[in-house]
Amino acid sequence: MIYSDIALDAIMIAIIADLFILRTQMVTRGLFWLSYGLILPFQLLTNWWLTSKSIVMYTPDAIIGRRLAGAPIEDLLFGFSMILLTLAFWEFFSSKFSERNG
Amino acid sequence: MSHLHYLGVLLFIGVCGVGVNIGFKTGLKKRLRIFLVTDLGILIVYLAWDAWAIHKHNWFFDAKQIIGVHLFNGIPIEEILFFIVVPFTTVATFLALKKLTGWEADRK
Repeated sequence: MIYSDIALDAIMIAIIADLFILRTQMVTRGLFWLSYGLILPFQLLTNWWLTSKSIVMYTPDAIIGRRLAGAPIEDLLFGFSMILLTLAFWEFFSSKFSERNG
Repeated sequence: MSHLHYLGVLLFIGVCGVGVNIGFKTGLKKRLRIFLVTDLGILIVYLAWDAWAIHKHNWFFDAKQIIGVHLFNGIPIEEILFFIVVPFTTVATFLALKKLTGWEADRK
């Protein structure tokens, strides 16, 4: 269940980066949750696409075995961490660059 | 044609991102440099995870459904594109919703 463990770590790292390192506070902002809510169905669609056609496959030992839209449930954690970290980096570098320019 | 399957999924995600950018005039094109730095961060973190997971066989790909170009550690080139296209569409969605809702208009 190694994917499960790392996916949980990824969530924690992304939240810590957002709140305390980059200080972008995405998880406290409505706009972030609205964005996530819109992206999630598309993640489920592409997960289903990738797994139902067996483009990507998972070793049963690496996952807990629960699946959603064809993909391991861990993929939800993976996706959330990546969306959060992407938007936290975006906000962080946006403010850095505008400080430098203005 | 089956070797283009994974690429087709990426094309779908990319078309969504580009469509959102054009349709909502998000201004992402003018801030491409910021996106490149953002994506560099994502590429470093998630390709490291991907390389390790592929090495440990946590997940693997159907050789018949990828184009067969690998960069390092057996990572298909599609995976690298995934970590570019998905963050791009994520930022595009965020900017479009920001514009559409008018939320955080006071924020840079």
